[in-house]
Amino acid sequence: MIMTPRLRKFALAAHLTCSVGWIGAVAGYIALDVAAATSQDAQTLRTAYLAMELIARYVIVPLALASLLSGLLMSLGTKWGLFRHYWVLISLLLTIIVTLVLLVETQTIGYFADMAADPTTSGDDLRALGSTLVHSVGGTVVLLVILALNVYKPRGMTRYGWRKQQKERKVSQP
Amino acid sequence: MANRPSYPGTPRWVKVFGIIVIVVVLLVVAMMLIGSGEHGPGRHAMSGGAGGQAPPSTGMADYAPPEGGRG
Repeated sequence: MIMTPRLRKFALAAHLTCSVGWIGAVAGYIALDVAAATSQDAQTLRTAYLAMELIARYVIVPLALASLLSGLLMSLGTKWGLFRHYWVLISLLLTIIVTLVLLVETQTIGYFADMAADPTTSGDDLRALGSTLVHSVGGTVVLLVILALNVYKPRGMTRYGWRKQQKERKVSQP
Repeated sequence: MANRPSYPGTPRWVKVFGIIVIVVVLLVVAMMLIGSGEHGPGRHAMSGGAGGQAPPSTGMADYAPPEGGRG
């Protein structure tokens, strides 16, 4: 079902807010992640791990799920469709993969935060935990690729999309 | 009667993108194998784990690290 122009604009605004907000939240997370990776100070590490969990659980995960959901609505409610164009299909697959990795990573971050919240955990233990930089930076790269695909919308229809287009042309030009 | 047009094929940018994805996935798998396959917070928490982390001094045995990825 194709959305009305007013509803489409609202859905687009919501999708942009969630998607760009997701990237911004991850940027803030990376600042803490760098502190976790480089700092030797126990208090800094404790604070960084606790803040990382709060940002991941209450900002990044909700934005990721909202971005995925609003993206699905935008695809299904507009002429672009979900499987017709390669840029839409690849964006969808990358978003699903990044979201799944994020959900798994949230468990790891929760474990780090539990360790940091425990007053018996020593500075050496905290320093041994490390960081999640590989995943957070890698995830950001993937999010930027998705952003570029959504802005540039490179040409190219899937075989399914092309067949659909041919059928629609036949119906409109008998 | 006009010929039925044929599918123009997969665009070049999709093929290039696919090759890049395959290379990145292979690199990640290779790095995981070189890093003795450890991929999770247990890598940091347990003494003498991969990566040569220092043994923890207190209370680490009480925690059961979740399975899954870690950066």
